[in-house]
Amino acid sequence: MKKYILSRIIKSIIALFVVLSIVIVMLFTLIPRANIFKNDTSIQRMKGDEKTSYMYSKWDELGYLDYLTFNEMCRASAEDVDACLAGDTDESAKVLKEYEDNGYTIAQFNNGSYYGYYEYSPFEILRNFYSHFIQIDHPNKVVDADNPDLERKYYIGSDENGIPAIMCSGCEYKYQVYFDGNFPFIHQNIVSLDFGTSYPTKVGIDTVKVIADGQGNAKLTEQTFPTGSVQNSPLIQHSCRYKPTSTLDRMDTTKFTDNYANCDSAYDSPSMISTSLLFGLVSLFLAYIIAIPAGIYMARKKGKLADKIGIVYINFLIAVPSLAFIFFVKQIGQSFGLPDKFPHYGFGDIRSYILPIIILALLSTSSLMMWTRRYMIDQSNADYVKFARAKGLSESEIFNRHILKNAIIPIVNQIPVSIVLTISGSVITETVFAIPGMGKMLPDSINMLNNNMVITLTFIFTGLSVFAVLVGDLLMTVIDPRIKLTEKGD
Amino acid sequence: MTTSENKFTFVKLDEKASEHIAAPKYSYWKSVFKKFFSSKVAIFLLIVLAGMVIMSLIHPLISGYSPLNAPNINNPSTWYNPPSAQLWFGTDNVGNSLFDAIWLGTRNSLMIAVVATAISTVIGVLVGMFWGYSKKMDAIMLNVYNVVANIPYLLLVIVLMYVLGRGIWQMIFSLSCTSWLSTAYFIRVQVMIIRDREYNLASECLGTPRTKVIFHNIFPYLISVIMTSLARDIPSFISYEVFLTYVGNGLSEKDASLGRMIQKYSAYMTSSPYLFWIPVAFSAIISVSIYVVGQTLADASDPRTHMV
Repeated sequence: MKKYILSRIIKSIIALFVVLSIVIVMLFTLIPRANIFKNDTSIQRMKGDEKTSYMYSKWDELGYLDYLTFNEMCRASAEDVDACLAGDTDESAKVLKEYEDNGYTIAQFNNGSYYGYYEYSPFEILRNFYSHFIQIDHPNKVVDADNPDLERKYYIGSDENGIPAIMCSGCEYKYQVYFDGNFPFIHQNIVSLDFGTSYPTKVGIDTVKVIADGQGNAKLTEQTFPTGSVQNSPLIQHSCRYKPTSTLDRMDTTKFTDNYANCDSAYDSPSMISTSLLFGLVSLFLAYIIAIPAGIYMARKKGKLADKIGIVYINFLIAVPSLAFIFFVKQIGQSFGLPDKFPHYGFGDIRSYILPIIILALLSTSSLMMWTRRYMIDQSNADYVKFARAKGLSESEIFNRHILKNAIIPIVNQIPVSIVLTISGSVITETVFAIPGMGKMLPDSINMLNNNMVITLTFIFTGLSVFAVLVGDLLMTVIDPRIKLTEKGD
Repeated sequence: MTTSENKFTFVKLDEKASEHIAAPKYSYWKSVFKKFFSSKVAIFLLIVLAGMVIMSLIHPLISGYSPLNAPNINNPSTWYNPPSAQLWFGTDNVGNSLFDAIWLGTRNSLMIAVVATAISTVIGVLVGMFWGYSKKMDAIMLNVYNVVANIPYLLLVIVLMYVLGRGIWQMIFSLSCTSWLSTAYFIRVQVMIIRDREYNLASECLGTPRTKVIFHNIFPYLISVIMTSLARDIPSFISYEVFLTYVGNGLSEKDASLGRMIQKYSAYMTSSPYLFWIPVAFSAIISVSIYVVGQTLADASDPRTHMV
């Protein structure tokens, strides 16, 4: 069994990375790279050389190509740097020739200065992506010439609330492992995934942070800083990163005794991922509460009026386009005074949540009801049911205590998958209601041509669903020990 | 009471008639149609569907409507006219008749759904039949299926549309790119159920080539299963087209479609609600009709329902 789980996990991870690699290659090769500037507001004010150099440095930053200015080329490979920088000399011609031989394209700005760029092949794009994909923090991570005396060590310290934490000097993050009151209570900053930065929306912020950090306005809390000063500040001290000495300002030195002053801020609204998760979980719970009893009731009244009404409802939901259904329910909800857009009342008001959750729940009831009914009816012809009837058990006893226990197994198998489906299924609902969640982020980032965000979301959605299938299978063996996932049964 | 004997005549003994086995006449397709036309709802929806398909094929040829043309744009009196006797569905924000627009939109939406379904069904059924029959292929295909089935379908379609660009053919490709695999898996399971029945084993023993077994013994059994999957796929593809275009990842401005209209007119939901609700209603009516007609046909094409 352990061997089987291990091989399943390895297969899942391989599947995940195959998908991710295909998506990365497609995004980088099939979309013309000039397109990414369509929604960039800063490029619209530029022209001439400034625009060209901005475009190439952006492509370099996003991993399309390697862009070098004439200065960089000279400094990197000229024997006599000054002779090279002087311009049209033999030395500079030699350097340019050298780069050209290495596959670089050499071109000239309007002002006459040279630049070179090297376009990565799909293989190199993948290699570059994965080479910085997993970031591991270590005490030698920080490189700061202005701070030669920086200690390089791990130590056990305590945070601003006096709770012990594993801390580090010389690492990117000050707090390596720490505890707090938020799920999952133990947090770490040692290993992180790097998907690159968001562009052209939220420029320069890591895509993971865009999805996982809070939204809305900064939330001030009274906290004690390492210097001992007590301030109302939005900073989260657990997230503090190293700040080079040259960029430290007076504001930082009043709060912090060391260079770890680059902290994230707390916000008053939940992050995209937790917003989606909240909607997904609540609506799924509601869907199960409605659909399973309904499916059982339909199976019990097979062929009667209740069953027929249920079948019409299921078929209606399958056939009608989900968008039409959402607008239909939304229209009904609005007549009860519920808001038609989430931001209308915002996070703080319960009315914002009612309609999207009802719609999400109703959308997933149809297949749940159908399968519950199907499994119940299939089971109700089994021999043990006839035996139970012969023993004289009442119908409700037979259905609730005998058939349900057997019919529930494939439904339990589906629970993790359904959780994931609500997260990605909420793409539709979140877009219609303008809920600031992860589901809405996918079409939004595509409309903005935010490639790194699309890669991040692909990774999250695919990863979640790959592991949900695995968890579902394992859950099934827990519920019913008779089920063996391996042929040998070990 | 006595009966006069001359009312009866002797019949000559017919040897052949006594040998005849009184089995009812059975024709498969006749039974299918008889069964299908016994459902009044299905007949009604079939008429609705046929009317909509014919209108969407013919009307755009007559009206010459194109979403890029707006001949009445400088004549504000033609804007936002509510539905009336002359303009059945009213006019939109640039004075175009919604009646003209909706048939072109229906045609494109239907075409995308039908072509995508056709592609994924043909490939899916062909692959699925061999997949279910050959154990070697099963081992390979199951691994492929496990990888692809793990990817959320919506994500895949959105990313493909994004990469390939907007357009009708790009959308058809994105929709059918992996959907054939789930049809194939569905067919595989059905084939595996009937693969080892005695009559197939007998055929194999008698030396019938595998291809012939698949097409002559197994395929007819699958007709109702294929119909069921058709009836589910077309509405779901319509739904995907509508949704993708609504969120802005689907068709571009130059292609009319139901999703495109819903997106374009959702801005007038409160000021001119008919502009928004008529395309929504069309997408719902056409999907439900196809689904119900298809399901009824699937039931009717299952020989087991012909017994009674």
